[in-house]
Amino acid sequence: MYRKQVRRRRAVLALLIVSSFVLLTLTYQGSVGLQRGVSTVFSPLQSVTDRALKPARDLVGWFDKTFDARGENSRLKSELVVVRRKAVAGQEALQENGELRKLLALDRGPVLAASAYKEVTGSVIARSPTAWRSSVTIDLGSGDGVHVDDPVVSGDGLVGRISSVEPGSSQVMLLTDHASGIAAKVVPPGVQGWVEPEVGNPEDLILNFIDSTRQVHAGQDVVTAGWRAQGFESHFPPGLPVGEVIRAPVLEQEASQRVDVRPFADLRNLDLVQVLTGGSRE
Amino acid sequence: MIVTPRIVVRVAAVSLLAVLLQLSFFSRVELFHVSPDVLPAYVVCMGLLGGTMAGAVSGFAIGFFVDCLLVEALGITSLVLLGTGYLGGLWRERFEVHGTLAPALLCMALTLVAELGFGAVQLLLGIDAPVSVLIVRDMLLKSVYAFFLGWPIYVGLRRLLRPALVEEPTVRRRRQPTVLGT
Repeated sequence: MYRKQVRRRRAVLALLIVSSFVLLTLTYQGSVGLQRGVSTVFSPLQSVTDRALKPARDLVGWFDKTFDARGENSRLKSELVVVRRKAVAGQEALQENGELRKLLALDRGPVLAASAYKEVTGSVIARSPTAWRSSVTIDLGSGDGVHVDDPVVSGDGLVGRISSVEPGSSQVMLLTDHASGIAAKVVPPGVQGWVEPEVGNPEDLILNFIDSTRQVHAGQDVVTAGWRAQGFESHFPPGLPVGEVIRAPVLEQEASQRVDVRPFADLRNLDLVQVLTGGSRE
Repeated sequence: MIVTPRIVVRVAAVSLLAVLLQLSFFSRVELFHVSPDVLPAYVVCMGLLGGTMAGAVSGFAIGFFVDCLLVEALGITSLVLLGTGYLGGLWRERFEVHGTLAPALLCMALTLVAELGFGAVQLLLGIDAPVSVLIVRDMLLKSVYAFFLGWPIYVGLRRLLRPALVEEPTVRRRRQPTVLGT
């Protein structure tokens, strides 16, 4: 009797393990119909749960933010000084730019593709529980005009892009997901590179493959490059703010052609996001 | 565990609630920059109360459900959580430890095992970006949180599944000898 029980247990365990591998194989072959069905059925329930739990989340968030507030205060003060200087310089540059445009009679060229996008605002309703994956579920779906690869932004900057769409919800692959990668440039020098995450560290991105002959300094901003070549186009329009260079040692730049970037968007505490829909896709 | 349709419905409802709470609440709050993960602790408690089969089956089902809701690669979370639940059940069947701290300590240890397992599976499948050492902090803090969350999960589940539990350890308070007339 006992032996029979043990044999049955082992059989069930083996069946479950084999089922896991079969599911894994099916996913990589692209058969995810059931998955989409379950996600579609449960997304309204997730939205309700999300709304119901918001006060509790805010309470825990308040405790967490109180711990961080002291250190953040001094950092923000020093950042404010830098930003003020940049704002003054920016105003001057805008004025100069306007005058030059008038002189050259330039209109909005194809580079300003961002204007072709329409923003749709949605809320985050779920988040992946593990640090190995970095994705969130939002309450916007194909019914709202969302498509795969649409850029997603928050009030602070780029958040990621849509990785899959269902009728009532979509998954956003965040900048910190291991599969994420963005063509970006440092402004003002215009040094181009490739932004990728460091898995497990949501406050740090790496700007790779930068031109080692041109220096990048801490405090400079990183924006999407939005390249367009031979009929292909980046998923992201040019000029979306990505982050700020926080560490740019000269030796590291010369040796490994990389600098560290802190994303502008608080990717750990996302609540409201905007999906840029309708941009040109080729 | 005596499995009746009523118990299956009860377990399914609580598991659904646990997954929704994890994705909509626990994954979205942070203490010291790390979010708690209650799902490994939940399947460990299922294993501790119901044995290896209950732990493994609930782990597989919860993992499948999580992957479906997040539209992630199916099978990864199932594989990790079924192993975690099975280990929880194995502990119950082999060691019969009923100490007050045992469930919480086991939740802590097996959450760490689950996180390591998840990392191992992800690394085997390929990661396209460098991995930060901060992931170690994330794993350790998650297991510490599981220590504190494991005990209420265990107590709540035990109360919920009491009609189905086979060997509920009975704790009897020793009666003090009394002298008549005092």
